[in-house]
Amino acid sequence: MKKTLVILLALGAIFVSIGYTQAQKPSDLKYPNLKYDPPDPKDFRTEFANGLRGYIKEDHSLPLFDISAQINFGGLYVPTDKTGLAEVMSGTMIKGGTKTREGSEIEERIDFIGGSLSFRTSERTATLSLFVLSKDMDEGLELFFDVLMNPEFREASLNLEKARLISQLRQANDQPNSILSREYERLIYGDHALTQQPTQKTYESISSADLKAAHVQYFFPENIILVASGDFDKSELKGKIDKLVSGWKNKTLDVPSFSKQFPSPEPGVYFIQKQINQGYISLGHLGIEENNPDYFAVQVMNFILGGGSFTSRITMKVRSDEGLSYNQGSRFRYRWGFPGTFSGYVQTKSSTVGYAISLILDEFNRIRKEPVSDDEMDTAINYYLESFSNSFESPQRTMSAFADLEMTGKPMDYYKTYRDKIKTVTKATVQEVANKYIHPDKAVIMIVGDFDPCNEGGDKWEGPLGKLGKMHTINLKNPLTGEELK
Amino acid sequence: MKRNFVLVLCFAVIILFSLVNAAEIQIDVKEHTLANGLKILMIQKAEVPRVVCHIYYKVGSINERSGITGIAHLHEHMMFKGTQVMGVTDFEKHAAVNDRIDELMANIYREKFWKAGGGDKEKIAQWQKEYDELVQSEKQYIIKDDLWTLYMKNGGTGLNASTSNEVTGYYVTLPSNKVELQMWLESDRMANAYFREFYSEKDVVMEERRLSENRPGFFFDEQVSAAFYAASPYHWGVIGWMDDLRKINKADLIAFNKNYYVPNNAVAIYVGDLDPQNIIQMAETYFGRIPKGPDIEPIRTYEPPQYSEKRMYGEGPSQTSLQMMFHAPYDGQPDAAPLSVLASVLGSGGGGGFGGRRGGGGGGTGRLYKLLVEEKQLAVSVSASSRAQWYVGAFQFRATPRFDKNVQPEDLEKEIWAEIEKIKMEGVTPEEIQKAKNKFEARFIRSLSSTAGLARTLGRAELHRGWRTVITELDDLKKVTNDDIKRVASTYFVKDNSLTAIYKRQGGGRRGGRR
Repeated sequence: MKKTLVILLALGAIFVSIGYTQAQKPSDLKYPNLKYDPPDPKDFRTEFANGLRGYIKEDHSLPLFDISAQINFGGLYVPTDKTGLAEVMSGTMIKGGTKTREGSEIEERIDFIGGSLSFRTSERTATLSLFVLSKDMDEGLELFFDVLMNPEFREASLNLEKARLISQLRQANDQPNSILSREYERLIYGDHALTQQPTQKTYESISSADLKAAHVQYFFPENIILVASGDFDKSELKGKIDKLVSGWKNKTLDVPSFSKQFPSPEPGVYFIQKQINQGYISLGHLGIEENNPDYFAVQVMNFILGGGSFTSRITMKVRSDEGLSYNQGSRFRYRWGFPGTFSGYVQTKSSTVGYAISLILDEFNRIRKEPVSDDEMDTAINYYLESFSNSFESPQRTMSAFADLEMTGKPMDYYKTYRDKIKTVTKATVQEVANKYIHPDKAVIMIVGDFDPCNEGGDKWEGPLGKLGKMHTINLKNPLTGEELK
Repeated sequence: MKRNFVLVLCFAVIILFSLVNAAEIQIDVKEHTLANGLKILMIQKAEVPRVVCHIYYKVGSINERSGITGIAHLHEHMMFKGTQVMGVTDFEKHAAVNDRIDELMANIYREKFWKAGGGDKEKIAQWQKEYDELVQSEKQYIIKDDLWTLYMKNGGTGLNASTSNEVTGYYVTLPSNKVELQMWLESDRMANAYFREFYSEKDVVMEERRLSENRPGFFFDEQVSAAFYAASPYHWGVIGWMDDLRKINKADLIAFNKNYYVPNNAVAIYVGDLDPQNIIQMAETYFGRIPKGPDIEPIRTYEPPQYSEKRMYGEGPSQTSLQMMFHAPYDGQPDAAPLSVLASVLGSGGGGGFGGRRGGGGGGTGRLYKLLVEEKQLAVSVSASSRAQWYVGAFQFRATPRFDKNVQPEDLEKEIWAEIEKIKMEGVTPEEIQKAKNKFEARFIRSLSSTAGLARTLGRAELHRGWRTVITELDDLKKVTNDDIKRVASTYFVKDNSLTAIYKRQGGGRRGGRR
């Protein structure tokens, strides 16, 4: 035993002598070259029967099978008096059964084989996702396409789901962050389909017939893109899917049109009273669309301003220097087909609400007035270049990203050209887009918090909050009725 | 500037190649232990040229005591605040300022926290003034978030750290040609942590606690947990009590660092496009130079038997709910597996998804959902979960009553007890047991597909009973029989072993009541 150990010790010494020498500081480290080319969507695009499209990747590393269908349908497409239909559909698409199967039968089978089948809807996309072990692929596919093509939205599950959603409505004003994000959007987009909220009445009005009508209108092959990865043979999988969808008819896509005119809310402070010990804050205005040619410069600019976590200015100032908050920064939110929002955000104890806001406004102004530093540019650009391959870590997520490009009409060479576009961003363009897209003078400052202590301020910034702009009060609505609460 | 490294010339290189089978799936884990006790785990997976690099320390809130609760998490924050090399332009000059800052704050804490009535206000103001000035003057030496920025600049993703009851982890995923950067930075902060900007970071952590406090129901849940775990250090949450966050001082922090941040109390795990020989050589070079620390005693106080039923009632601005908790076996005890299967049978399926290693959920095919949500329509949701932690275990039911039908939490409590009594007599069906087993197996295989998930699961398991327990746990689950289920139901589901917590929305428990 002892002898063996000695030999091992000697071996160890040899290992190290031919290995690494310790760098004195991290800047001394030299890295070998690494070239990475992203996967090309063309290599995975597959056309199925009846114009159904897909992005499919074989991955034999584990005996798994993943498939999902992305449908061009979401809450936005629902008429105002049926607001909430997409949420109801989320909860009844599977549980409500199909023409030939009860929902419980489908769930029981999927559960028994250790799989999962789920359906969710968002603003403009709905997604049905299946995961099973690859040995169960055939059974999984049959259930998946049955749910996708033939949902029945049976009454019993519909009623249960409506009761659940109405019960959930009662909690709509419990969480300060959900109040803030909902009311911030409502202020920026005004009374628009993007900001419609369901009520007890709209939920109750939704019938099985409404759900079926929405299904008929949007769930057809040409309006869906499949995404699959796992342990299968691609051509075999294509054969199976073609057979399952062979009788599925197409329709003409009829998506309602929406105004892209939004009100310009009066700049100033918008206060929402809630008895908590911090202020939850968003400040900003309308942002940009994702297909804006300035998108890449805006990404880099916002990384420096408040998007790059600890390396960003807002975090360094508000959190690290001043210890005012745990969570803070700035973001551009994007939504398909509409300009998104721009906001600075922070949550801080009531007495430092005004101070934290003033620091964020200072940073909005600074990035407009002064060029960013070489170091900041270097970090931001290198982050985007060097982290790029991370987007392709999961085959299923990669396929899904490709489907998303096609669905939302982005260029299919988006990923191929991504790094080149990031490289073209300069200090000058960063300052240019900061001036073009950040407007502190037009910003609304929304605060959810306890008014008196917030208004009073503290040592470093004394109130009143009115110093930041004209004061407005927003009364919350009763989420069940949509009527204003006193 | 003195570096704390002692060059270790003699060390053992022991490479273990381990292939473990589960459900005909192989996990190919390569292991290596440095002479100083640091364990290295490696798994090759090459979808993209990146490597998940995690380091886990066997320290968490259970290693705290009254007075320093929250320090494990606060310390995790402070590990980003520099070392003798990182985060500073001139170490010596800054250290002089830093020492005076610590001295002033020690004075303030003594005056404020030791003396009745908060001490001499004038003295405090004077010290505070000097402190504020020094904080301004130290800025010239501080390089803000140096480590974080360096990781970002080199394409670091998944950059984060986290603290739990038992484990603290530091995470980054890097391009495969840059793993050496992680070795450099993590070995540097393991050996040379130097805590700058401590007092403003305490404020950040207090803000983090306030964020939790503003989550409806937080205070009640915190009290429920404190009542359930009466004696063991699971009594307090990872975030700690606010009083302790205020009063923890620099000396506490340094002592905590010295005790727990040693190589023999850690595991480094690498998953991705890597060459194990290469990783081992780098680890020897960078981590190998850190001296081994003293052995660390595990926690002493386990949870004593409860002897009597506990009940709690609360009211506040959150939804009405029922919680029923039972003390259960901890990780590695034989009864943990049947309880996991039972949690899965009672609460499995549907929207519950694949959440962690605990059994259970609240989905559509679980017994309780079928009974209380679908058939009787008494509940909006109901879930069962079984969680075996390192030194304690809990089996928990949660349910939300149907407000529109005027159902009360107590009604649901009766229903759940009736089902429990039935299971004590009859157990569950063979199909239900088989379904639970299939789910555990499928979930296990799926968990292998995520590189970061693999690192997390294996890294944590390694620190307790070894990473292979991930496999043996699955084997244990597969062996569970209906007799086991009946036995564990009778053993653990008894009133004297339980805490029932009933929370009602303020003024809104009855139909028609105002919110």
